Amino acid sequence: MLDIAFSKPAPSGGLPKAGALVLLLAEGAGLAGMGAALDAAMGGGLARAIAAAEFTGRKGQSLTLYAPHGALTRLVVLGLGSHDGMKLDEAGGALVPLLSKEREASVALDGLTAAQAAEVALGAALRAYRFDRYRTDEKPEDKPKLARLTLLTPELNAAKAAWGSLRPVAEGVFTARDLVSEPANVLTPIEAAERCRALEKLGVQVEILGPKEMRRLNFGAYLGVAQGSDNEPRMVVMRWNGAGAQGGKGRKPAKPLLFVGKGVTFDTGGISIKPAGGMEDMKWDMAGAGTVIGLMAALAGRKARADVVGVVGFVENMVGSNAQRPGDVVKTASGLTVEVINTDAEGRLVLADVLHYSIGRFDPAFVVDLATLTGAIIIALGHEHAGLFSNDETLAARIQAAGRAVGETAWRMPLDESYAKGLKSDIADLKNVGGRPGSSIAAAKFIERFVSGRPWAHLDIAGMAWSSKDTATVPKGATAWGLRLLDRLVAEHHEGQ
Amino acid sequence: VLRLRRTPSAGMLVVRPADFPRDEQRRVAALEIQVGGGEPRDGRDWEAVGAACIAAAGEARRVAVDARGLAPADAVALATGATLRAWRFAALKAVPSPQRVELVTEAPDAPAWTAAAATLDAIAWTRTQVAEPANRLSPTEFSRRLRALREEGLHVEVIEADALRDLGAGGLLAVGGGSPHPPRLVMLRWKGAEGPPIAFVGKGLCFDTGGLSIKGAGGMEAMRADMAGAAACAGALLSLAKRRAKVHAVAVLAIAENVTGARSYRPGDVLRMASGRTVEVVDTDAEGRLVLADALHLAIQRCRPSAIVDAATLTGSILIALGHHRAGLFGTDAALLTAAAAAGEAVGERLWPMPLGEGFREAIRSPIADLKQCAPAGSGAWGGRLLPDASHAATFLREFVGDTPWAHLDIAGMDTAEDAEGLHAKGQPTGFGVRLLAELAERHARDR
Repeated sequence: MLDIAFSKPAPSGGLPKAGALVLLLAEGAGLAGMGAALDAAMGGGLARAIAAAEFTGRKGQSLTLYAPHGALTRLVVLGLGSHDGMKLDEAGGALVPLLSKEREASVALDGLTAAQAAEVALGAALRAYRFDRYRTDEKPEDKPKLARLTLLTPELNAAKAAWGSLRPVAEGVFTARDLVSEPANVLTPIEAAERCRALEKLGVQVEILGPKEMRRLNFGAYLGVAQGSDNEPRMVVMRWNGAGAQGGKGRKPAKPLLFVGKGVTFDTGGISIKPAGGMEDMKWDMAGAGTVIGLMAALAGRKARADVVGVVGFVENMVGSNAQRPGDVVKTASGLTVEVINTDAEGRLVLADVLHYSIGRFDPAFVVDLATLTGAIIIALGHEHAGLFSNDETLAARIQAAGRAVGETAWRMPLDESYAKGLKSDIADLKNVGGRPGSSIAAAKFIERFVSGRPWAHLDIAGMAWSSKDTATVPKGATAWGLRLLDRLVAEHHEGQ
Repeated sequence: VLRLRRTPSAGMLVVRPADFPRDEQRRVAALEIQVGGGEPRDGRDWEAVGAACIAAAGEARRVAVDARGLAPADAVALATGATLRAWRFAALKAVPSPQRVELVTEAPDAPAWTAAAATLDAIAWTRTQVAEPANRLSPTEFSRRLRALREEGLHVEVIEADALRDLGAGGLLAVGGGSPHPPRLVMLRWKGAEGPPIAFVGKGLCFDTGGLSIKGAGGMEAMRADMAGAAACAGALLSLAKRRAKVHAVAVLAIAENVTGARSYRPGDVLRMASGRTVEVVDTDAEGRLVLADALHLAIQRCRPSAIVDAATLTGSILIALGHHRAGLFGTDAALLTAAAAAGEAVGERLWPMPLGEGFREAIRSPIADLKQCAPAGSGAWGGRLLPDASHAATFLREFVGDTPWAHLDIAGMDTAEDAEGLHAKGQPTGFGVRLLAELAERHARDR
């Protein structure tokens, strides 16, 4: 992780001794604080450069000056856009590529609050993430150099405290991105489950269940998906009990929050095999699980005052000789039977058993599931929004608001009963797919059958789990989409006073 | 005669055969109809009961529904549902077998019935046009039928291809250019009130082969209904005119046939649209947005509407997204979007809001023109197959509406009933949009 430090700016506008310096300017704002000091030291050269470059502070606009003054190697001026629409995490992220040739850089944060300073730090850390475990011959000069970012803020202690609760979120995001980036020959269900043990040192209780336990729990749908692979399935239950005794003696503890993730470590589609083009993407068909694991790490890391359970179902959907067939009928843990029409609609089969089991066991206040569930959601919403399906207006509204706040937006989709019509089976209680029209909604209707009427939200993240291009806070690759959203949801509504 | 009777267990209505001939009686014996899981609450529920009665009556030529004891509004709703479900396109059958539906009621002259009958006539007109095969309903014939709506009190203007050239309507001309039946823009006006109108813009592709980017053969016959948006807009105006509604509404219909011919437009062509903007053609089967772009621009320029709403069987993508139960709702004006969604709920033609945004705009940036018509196949996720084309299309249209409050209804999948369900017989056109747009016009007039 990028080394983040906070420091007070030197008195009377003293400039950093070396490295790069960053100034952040809102649209139409003049030079102040350190910017004014530097401009004075440059004999008005900075103001002239800003004018010559037609730099207005438009969002994302940047200006770079080399060796501007003294031992400073580089000055970057970054536009923040209009004062009301500023997104400081995105500004922090946008700095990273501009500073990739520098080892150290300082960011002047005159006029920004401590919370905003921490947001800049978070954005920079998130953007600087890199998954380079498998690069063995990269030339040193090709690697980004930036190792340390110092944020210069007068509100030193408050900024450090704010960063103290954001840093674990960044670490949780990296945990998720690492898991999602790993190829499927490395990250088997067993390996994925073992990696969850790392959360124990944060105080998370980790419990791993294998096929034996699943058979005892009557996970017929989940095991049906697993039976085509040599790699055994693993379900991981993670518990963070952070609410503690805050309820006081004699008060009933609040019900826990439940997050469930789809963890298909590779999805060939099974006998209903996928076309070859793009199949490599299916290593990230466990992104829902990766995000839930990262979320548990983030909540435990920042000692969230809430009781939270994360449950992920790892499995590999392969085409072994014992793979389940279209037409097979499986019995879910809930007792409902499912006719498997398409073996590539496996995520909902796994979720059916995991949701039924974990709701029954933990009696949660609500459940949110995350799953790279349908290609249809990409046809509906592209890569702009995840699909949000919910039977609970309050929960849905809170998820949407949290998503807007952190830049992970969820678009509400319908759940009318009429969309379940296609799931009627001639032989079983349900089919696992209807027709193509409205198929993301039908998938949600399928899952809804297994949530026992609990307040529930389903996030179909098939279009959001992986980014094909760099964005402000997400380098190309695994995104950990939804982690910051759900961390925010917990922080805003479930951590008491 | 079907008699409705409330049973002690709420939510069940028993329909009993009464004065039928013996053989007919057997056919409808002992029917129980469950209505929406409870006692009918509103007009929508009573329409569903009426439709269910017709479904229960089967092939009976004559169906009488005994609605005595019902409130007049409920009785009207019951009859409306029955009539809609009983409707068939019979013009091309050697032996048409129309079903006659009679309502037995204490208040046969209820004023509500006059309004309902006007709406039913308009829906029947729209359904007829949608059902007509393309060898009968060419652009020429469609505009002739639209012109005939003058008799209903509508003002009708037909802008022929030559005039379209003068207007620079490069989108509509390119799409319709391959067909021997030239494209047209038809403008209908119902001026039941003063002030700026609400404008409806309809996609009227009498047949869509896809053009050079030709469609797969399977299911292509359904493309005779690719003018359902235009038919719905015209039907809405017809319903307003028949009811002498106190609203000012116009419909601007882009009518063309997209065929493969020696003069078909090509992928790669760059078109100059009526607004002056240039568009790079990527896929000749994404023709609807081209004709709509010109129609939207010309409607705004000529009619100065206070709001503009287009309806189009536009994308397969919306069908994947929302299926056959809701149409996609896109737009820029929160109040108009809210009004459209509420109008849809009120008449049982339901919409669902879908996104626009900068990210979608990026996907239709062209290296050679102002805009690409759509994102190229293969540029999507997972091997290129998955593209949010409904949002791309809406984003494209947005470029042609300026600041006028605008909503776009992507009604692909809603034009024809997949199954015998609700108010529609299987395989028959639904008339989706007629009631919604008429209701929206009235709400819009009230809210201003």
